Amino acid sequence: MSTTRADQRRRRDLRFGLGLSLPAVAVVVLLLGYPMGYALYMSGFSWNDKLGSSHPFVGLANYSELLGDPAVHRALGRTLYFSAFTVLGGVALAVLIAVLLNTEFRGRTLVRVLLLVPWAVPPVVNGIMWKLIFDGSSGIVNTILLGTGLIDTRVQWLADPGLTMNVLIFAEMWKLLPFLCLLMLAGLQGIPTNIYKAARIDGADGWQRFRKITLPNMRGPIMFALIVQSMWSLKVFDTIYVLTGGSGGPAEGTTTINFLAYLVTFSNLDRGYGASLAIATMVLVILVTLLWILLLGQRGNDRGDAR
Amino acid sequence: MSTLTERAASTTQPRAATPRDAGRRRRRRLGTIGHRALVALLLVYLLAPFVWMLVYSLYPSSALQQASPDLNPGLLTGASYARLLSDSSFLVPMVNSAIVGISTTIVCMVLGSACAYAFARYRFRGRNALLLGMLTVQAIPVIVLAVPLFILLRAFGLYDRLPGLIVTYTAFILPLVIWMLVGFFDEIPPSLERAARIDGCNRLQIMIKIAFPLAAPGLAATAILAFITSWSDFFLAKVLTSTAATTLPVKTAAFQGLFAMDYTSAATAGVITAVPVLLLALLAQKWIIRGLVEGAVKG
Repeated sequence: MSTTRADQRRRRDLRFGLGLSLPAVAVVVLLLGYPMGYALYMSGFSWNDKLGSSHPFVGLANYSELLGDPAVHRALGRTLYFSAFTVLGGVALAVLIAVLLNTEFRGRTLVRVLLLVPWAVPPVVNGIMWKLIFDGSSGIVNTILLGTGLIDTRVQWLADPGLTMNVLIFAEMWKLLPFLCLLMLAGLQGIPTNIYKAARIDGADGWQRFRKITLPNMRGPIMFALIVQSMWSLKVFDTIYVLTGGSGGPAEGTTTINFLAYLVTFSNLDRGYGASLAIATMVLVILVTLLWILLLGQRGNDRGDAR
Repeated sequence: MSTLTERAASTTQPRAATPRDAGRRRRRRLGTIGHRALVALLLVYLLAPFVWMLVYSLYPSSALQQASPDLNPGLLTGASYARLLSDSSFLVPMVNSAIVGISTTIVCMVLGSACAYAFARYRFRGRNALLLGMLTVQAIPVIVLAVPLFILLRAFGLYDRLPGLIVTYTAFILPLVIWMLVGFFDEIPPSLERAARIDGCNRLQIMIKIAFPLAAPGLAATAILAFITSWSDFFLAKVLTSTAATTLPVKTAAFQGLFAMDYTSAATAGVITAVPVLLLALLAQKWIIRGLVEGAVKG
C-alpha cells in the first residue's frame, strides 16, 4: 500500500519537475539547435552570395579546403599564440595574485570587490579603453614613454601586426584575470589551514608548501579555469573588432580563427566556407576542452568530496 | 604568505627579544611592505584604464593629446555627455539596450528559475546530461549561429526589431541562468520544504512561497548577471539589427572607425555603456562572486 502511494507521489513529482523544466529546455534546444543544424547544412554547400544565387552541394569540400588553406593555418597560429598567453599565462598569474590576496590585510574585501570592475566592463568598452591608451598618435602610453625618455619616436602600437597582437593580449588579460583570480581565491579558501601549519612544523619552506599543498589542492579550480578560459580565448571577438576597427588587422595580424570565420562570412559573403570555418572553431573548442579533461581530470575524483 | 608565517611564529613563542628576533621583525616588516606595494600596484592596474577613459570623457581632447597632458580641473567639462545624451541617435540605442536587457532578464528568470528548481529538487534521469548540455552551450562560438539566426529572424519579420534580439539573447543566456540557479537551489536544505508539504502546501506553493524567498539573493544575482550579459553583447546585436533596434555597444563601437576616431565621444560612450553594469555588479558583488565561483569550484 504505502509503496504504491510513494510511487504515485514520485510519479507526480516527476511530472511536476518535467513540466517546470520543459519550457526552458525547449526554448534552448529549438533556438540553438535549429541554427546549429542550419550552419552544418550551409557548410556542405559552395554558397557565396557574391557569386550569384546558385549554390551547389559540395559535401565535405569546404572542410578539405580549409585544411589546406594557408590563411586558415596563419589564423590558427595566431589563435594558438593568443590562447597560450591568455590561458596559460592568465591562469598562472591568477594563481599568483590569488596567493597575494589570500592573506589577512586591511582593505582585502575592497580589493576583492574591485576585481569585479574589469570583469563587468563590456568587451566593446574594453576595446575602446585600450585604444585610448595605446593609440599611436595620442595614446597615453606613448606620452609616458616619450616623457621618461624611454623612446624617441612614437611607437605605432596598433599599426604593426605583431605589436597589435600583443596589445590585444594585454587588453584581454585585463578583462579576464579578475574572474580567474576569484576562482583561484575560492579554491585557496577551500584548503584547510592546518595542513599548512603541519607542513611548517615539518620544516617545509614557502615554495615547498606552495608546490606540495597549494597546487595539488587547486587541481579542480585550475582545471575549471583552464577549460573556461580556453573556451573564451578561442572565441575572442569583440575586443579584436573594436581595437582594429573591424578589420582583424593590421595586415591580418589579429585575425584569429574565429575572426576569420567572421570576415569570410560577412566581408567575402562566402556563407558555405564561413560556416565550415565557424564549425571548425567549435570543434577546436571542444577538442581543447577534452584535452584539458584528459590531461588533468583523471585524478580529480579523489578530492571531489573535499569541498 | 611569508608574512603570515613569521607572524604566527613570533606570537606562538613569546620570549625575551634577541638580535635574531629583531632581524626577523625587520624581515617581516619588509615582507609586509612588499606585499602592500604589490597590492597597491594591482589596484592601480585594475582601475587605471577605466579612470583614464573617464578622464578622457571629461576633458577636451586637445588638453590630453600633448606632450604633458593638462589635467587642470578648470578644464573639466560635461559637454560631451550633454551632447551624446541629447542626441537621439545615441539615446535610441540606449533605450533599446535597456528594454532588451530588462525583457531578456525577465523571460530568462521566469523560465530559468522554474527549470533550475526542477533540476535541483526532482532528480530525474538525464538531469546531469541536461546540466552538462547547458554548460556545453558555452563552447559554441556565436559566429556559428549568426547567419542562421539572421535568416530565421528575417523569415519571421523580427530582423532589426527588439523582440528578435530578446528571443535570441534568451536562448543564449538561459543556459547560464539555469546553471547558476541550480547551484543556489542545491544549497537550500530540503527539510523546510518537507515541512511545508506536511502542512498541506502543494508543489507549486512550496516552490514559490518557500524555495524562491530562500534563494532570493541568488535569484537577484543571477538576474543581474543575465542583464549584464545581455547589455554587453556586441556581436549578435551587430548582426541581427541595423538601425531601429541597434543597441548601445554597437553604437559605442561605431565611434571608433578604421581610420578616424572621435576620442572624446568614444570615451564618453564607453563610460555610459559601462557604468550601469558596473554599478549592478558592485551592488550584488557578494552574491555574484558566490554564484560565479562556488559552483565552478565545487563542480
